[in-house]
Amino acid sequence: MRTLVALLTASILAAPALAVEGITTGPNGETATPAADLILSPDEVATIRQGHHTAALAWHEMSEYTRAVDRGARDAFADLGIEVVAQTDAGFDAARQKADVETVLAKHPSIILSLPVDPATAAPVFQPAVDAGVKLAFVDNSPAGFVHGRDYAAVVSDDLFQMGKKAADAMAAVLGGKGKLGYIYHDADFYVTNQRDGAFKATIEADFPDMEIVAEQGMADPARSEEIAQALLTQNPDLDGIYVTWAEPALSVLAALKAAGNSHTKIVTLDLNEPAALDMATGGNFAAIVADEAYDIGQTAARASAAALLGKAAPPFLVVDSLAVTRDNIAEGWQRSLHTDAPVSVLEAAK
Amino acid sequence: MSGTVQDTRRNPARRIDWQQHVVYLGFLAIFVFFAVVLRDTGFLTVRNLSNIVLQTAPVTIMAIGLVFVLSAGEIDLSVGSTVAVSALSAAVALNGWGLVPGVLAGLGAGLLIGAFNGALVAWLRLPSFLVTLATMGLFAGVARSLTDLRSIPVTNGAFTGFFGSGTLFGIPSLVLWTVAAVAFGHLAFRETRFGAHVLATGDNPRAALVSGIRVPRVRLAVLTLSGGLAGLAGLLYAGRLQAAKYTLGETDLMTVIAATIVGGTLLNGGKGSIVGALVGSLMMGMLNNGLILMGLSVSDQMIVRGFIILVAVALSLREKAS
Amino acid sequence: MARMTAPVLALRDIRKTFGGVVAVEDFSLDIHPGEIVALVGDNGAGKSTLIKIISGVHPPTSGALTIDGADVTMSSATMARAHGIEVVYQDLALADRQSVYMNLFLGRERVRNRLGLLDRRAMIAETARLVEELDVRIPSPHAIIRDLSGGQRQGVAIARATHWARKLVLLDEPTAALGVAETARVEEIILGLKARRIGVLMISHSLDQVFRLADRICVLRRGRQIGVRRTAETDKNEIVAMITGVASGVE
Repeated sequence: MRTLVALLTASILAAPALAVEGITTGPNGETATPAADLILSPDEVATIRQGHHTAALAWHEMSEYTRAVDRGARDAFADLGIEVVAQTDAGFDAARQKADVETVLAKHPSIILSLPVDPATAAPVFQPAVDAGVKLAFVDNSPAGFVHGRDYAAVVSDDLFQMGKKAADAMAAVLGGKGKLGYIYHDADFYVTNQRDGAFKATIEADFPDMEIVAEQGMADPARSEEIAQALLTQNPDLDGIYVTWAEPALSVLAALKAAGNSHTKIVTLDLNEPAALDMATGGNFAAIVADEAYDIGQTAARASAAALLGKAAPPFLVVDSLAVTRDNIAEGWQRSLHTDAPVSVLEAAK
Repeated sequence: MSGTVQDTRRNPARRIDWQQHVVYLGFLAIFVFFAVVLRDTGFLTVRNLSNIVLQTAPVTIMAIGLVFVLSAGEIDLSVGSTVAVSALSAAVALNGWGLVPGVLAGLGAGLLIGAFNGALVAWLRLPSFLVTLATMGLFAGVARSLTDLRSIPVTNGAFTGFFGSGTLFGIPSLVLWTVAAVAFGHLAFRETRFGAHVLATGDNPRAALVSGIRVPRVRLAVLTLSGGLAGLAGLLYAGRLQAAKYTLGETDLMTVIAATIVGGTLLNGGKGSIVGALVGSLMMGMLNNGLILMGLSVSDQMIVRGFIILVAVALSLREKAS
Repeated sequence: MARMTAPVLALRDIRKTFGGVVAVEDFSLDIHPGEIVALVGDNGAGKSTLIKIISGVHPPTSGALTIDGADVTMSSATMARAHGIEVVYQDLALADRQSVYMNLFLGRERVRNRLGLLDRRAMIAETARLVEELDVRIPSPHAIIRDLSGGQRQGVAIARATHWARKLVLLDEPTAALGVAETARVEEIILGLKARRIGVLMISHSLDQVFRLADRICVLRRGRQIGVRRTAETDKNEIVAMITGVASGVE
């Protein structure tokens, strides 16, 4: 779900990041810093608490992913004595996001957290906030032309390479380190999926000599994922495992496997999703789902912006951790990624 | 004895007048509510109130076009896509050839799309609902392919001043555009034969036809006008955001329809109000603004907004129940 | 009384076919100023086709149409109106959500100046004068059509025709949907047209009404003109016989 969201968010050519082998880089090529490195000392926290600051959350849209980020930010702000005074949803519309930012400025917030709808052209959207002295922290992307430290505190995102690598490791674990793989990747120029997919493939090729990707299929339109899966399985009925770029197209692959009566081919994908988790919990085709710690993205963005209130610089590009969720750790996975209980149906099935 | 018997108790004009005031009363009620509830949070500042007008300018201008279209008994679902195509055409022409070609490209794209819709409706006698449903998708596709999904920055200072952030005698240009469009729209709608023919066409097309009104031409005209005004809205978006993207206007259709209906324009023709559409549009903008400033969560904002629109629409459509 | 004047409308040997089907043939009729002529016949006898020919909607296949002695060919309702012919359609052709005065001036709105701005004041004044003159009892020129009773609407439609007709008004079932009292009011208005020296051709299914209003009665059966009778010189039995073709002695 997370990727679908991001997919629609950033225009496809807007984030020309280069995936350097093995390292996740930011939208402008920044080196990644682990989110855990950003620490506020008790003294700093106390100073921030005395400031009675306020914050506004100007999201690009509302989804389960945004909600997790939102919850993380709110919890972090609560700890810092910062009151959240407004929350907006731009519905992927840059014009509406501009209106939202203008509107929340009427409440004179000290901080605005946002995911820019259209980073390439978002500068006029956020410039009034910069001019008003509001501290900004962004998720995934910063407006083109904005300078870290001067215009915004930090960009917080996933450790994309690690997510892809963990998917490969999970695949190797479930197949015992050997087998024939199918690889369904996102066939579009989008740095989030490109880095994750690339990391999966690179890890399989470098670390697991007995595993081989025998079938590759790009997917440009998620709506056509079932046809793609069907074709892939018809040509390669003996696959041991299939990697799918994110959970929703993975469900189409599951449908295709079920239609073929195939219960032995394992699926590994990214981003938590209830139907996929349910299949995994009941011992179906899904073997692992790699999930980012979306809640921690909100926490980190909140802390970075709060640090800026003290004049303390945060690293430009902070990345949060991720984990491979399997049948054994579903409850924990949901907690760490989305900071909520897993759906009851999934928990029941996993017992 | 007089043939015009005056029966004041049953004067139908009275009831209609009250109907037309619903939107103004609603606007006032919401304004007073926010002014009281949000008195400490900047709602009443000049800056915030002028923000509402600036933010709603494109929707207001699209709504003016829709008043003509709905009053003529047609509908235009393609306004959002038209906005995107116009804004992108303007941005590309602006960066390539300068201010005047940019403006002409934006308005021209809108007028052409409108005329295309209008020609299909007027002469092929296809229902406008289906025509514009199809062209909504068609031109959304055109907008996507026009610049290969890329956003186009608009850097021409004259353009962004004229259509976006500029002022004249201290008045923001978006306010001037809104006032000009409402004034011309109101005049054309209320005080010209064209406006009367639009209403007659929407009210009873057969009666209009046998009365010598060129009904197909009216249909062509209202849809072309709607396209042209959507084109202007596209210019305003491009000026305000200093960029054009295929997503511009995509989510505006429902807001435009709601503003128009709340403003006292009937969905099925024969009755409309330009000033009502302006107030309806401002009311939508004020709702968005006030609910955000109240600190409501996004879900709660949507629920409250939906509920208020429902009440407003119910009140302004009550005439139909009689 | 209308004998001595020239006819406002003269139809000579009108024939109309749709494809191979003959709708009207050998139809000839004169209508004089201030004369009310009723067109009667069963459903499908060709009455509506004749009205459409005279109002310019369908041009005749053959035959001549003369207005005030001049041959005319008409291809649209607009042309018929230009010749001073107005029609009150069975559905009245009123715009229901518009005011009485805008309906009276539908498609022919008064404008003030070259900018083309509507002259509402003039239209309202003229409407008020007209409804008073014709004794059409409506609340006000501003009243919205949908708030009026059936009789009032009929009155507005007839008032509109009266206002614009210089020579002839065609009435298609003017009282079909009305109650007794409203029918009486509308009949008074129709008689008012006669007083204004306008020719009237009306279709009616009510023989009582025809005998109350018409000077002459023209009977159609299956597209053929069976005959024209002076009201004063005929009776219902003869007309019914002509309509149905049952009795002998016709033509």
